[in-house]
Amino acid sequence: MTTFLSRIPRSTRRAATGLLGIVILWECATRGLDLPSYVLPSVSSILQAIVEQRSVLLGAAWITVMEAVLGFLAGTAAGVSLAIFITMLPFTRRAMLPLATALNSVPVVAYAPLILLWFGIGPESKVVMVALAVGFTVFLHALSGLDRVDQRAVDLMRSFGADRARILWRLRIPAAIPLTAAGMRVSTVRSMIVAIVTEMLGATGGLGWTIYQSVLQIDFIQVWAAIFVASAASLMFFGAVTVVEKRYVFWR
Amino acid sequence: MSTQAAFLHSVTRSALQGALMVLAIGLFWEGLVLFADIKPHYLPRLSVILTSIFSVPDAYVAGFLRTMTETLLGFAIGALVGVMNGVIFSQSRLLRETIFPLFVISQTIPVIAFGAVVVLWFGNTILAKALIAFYLTFFPVTVNTLNGLDAVDRNQENLLRSFGANRWQLLLRLQLPAALPQIFVALRLACTLSLLGAIAGEWFGDTVGLGVLLLQAMYNEHMVALWAAILMSGLLGTSFYGLVALTERHVVFWKAEQL
Repeated sequence: MTTFLSRIPRSTRRAATGLLGIVILWECATRGLDLPSYVLPSVSSILQAIVEQRSVLLGAAWITVMEAVLGFLAGTAAGVSLAIFITMLPFTRRAMLPLATALNSVPVVAYAPLILLWFGIGPESKVVMVALAVGFTVFLHALSGLDRVDQRAVDLMRSFGADRARILWRLRIPAAIPLTAAGMRVSTVRSMIVAIVTEMLGATGGLGWTIYQSVLQIDFIQVWAAIFVASAASLMFFGAVTVVEKRYVFWR
Repeated sequence: MSTQAAFLHSVTRSALQGALMVLAIGLFWEGLVLFADIKPHYLPRLSVILTSIFSVPDAYVAGFLRTMTETLLGFAIGALVGVMNGVIFSQSRLLRETIFPLFVISQTIPVIAFGAVVVLWFGNTILAKALIAFYLTFFPVTVNTLNGLDAVDRNQENLLRSFGANRWQLLLRLQLPAALPQIFVALRLACTLSLLGAIAGEWFGDTVGLGVLLLQAMYNEHMVALWAAILMSGLLGTSFYGLVALTERHVVFWKAEQL
């Protein structure tokens, strides 16, 4: 037993301890204080609801995750390309940056009603919303990373006759990847949140839609069950991106 | 020119540039709708939207002020707690490994889904929205503070240590200043996120606020009112963002090239 436990990394053990502590505290609080389920249902009753409703919840989660992943990929591609474009053609920076900032200054959720009216209540509107949200975050991170190179290193490469493309490839992109990856990591969770928010405003399926329906029916155990499933799904998404980052951003 | 004057000069210049840019975008918008013959159902003319705001400004002003209060409150608490978390986690490995994963999990909970519960707990108060804004804000600030503190040059750290600097001095003199650029990246993100939280928080049965205006316009399929609410949100977001970026330029003066 001890050998098994000691084989798990210490950080994982500590994380598990923290999680276990919260769950026990929650269960004891709800049972001890006898809280009504509309204030806070107990963990056990939520888990029971998840098991009972698993086919409905899994189907909803599948829709939401697909929307989030598609939007995430599209948004990342757009954000990184735009950042590279601006770095390669510095004269576009003056025009593009204020425009991007102006668009970005409107919080993404404010676009949600508009995108819903434009793209309908199907999955398309959610993918667009997620791509918008992820794109800006990744763009800001990538640009800040591309800028964060030592000017002396740029000068040195230039003195050896490197052109802009070579400096970008050999110097700026490797320097920008850690920060870009950090932006992507933060965006994973946001992409799930944005997909869910947009679904709550109008959709044909998905976790946000399930949550909204349950709120209307005052079924708070179902609300929490959907929240748990959403949380687990985003955690897996986050984990996948982190694993990819650890593997390919090895110089960090 | 003194640095103060140079700073002021650069601020006025970028403000002027910003104003010109807004004007250019506005003209482009108006012209696009007029000449490309875009249906008002997709994109109404900018002038129509502005007229509708100025003809009945009361609701927009009230909504603006209400949402602003919620946003600022959530942002301030979130930034403070985020930086403190980052410092604490960088100092204590035990706390970082026990609590940080919980934060990560907490962020995977779609706070908006949770919004219904938060509003149930705290009522339809400013506090409930500020709490949602805070919840979205503190995590990126924590992550970037921690990353910034961790990324401090080992040689510099060893140098200060060799002069007998203690942990506290090391933090204040070296680590925090070195982390500031990263922290400000997070703060710029956080001002957008806190506004997002405040607006979405208003979707659970509030009566005043920009989020309420957005929702009402969507249900009525009233494009002009919808764009008016979006523009007001943008105005709030830009002013807030500009303020944070200005502070950044003043505080992180050694990183001259910012937006």
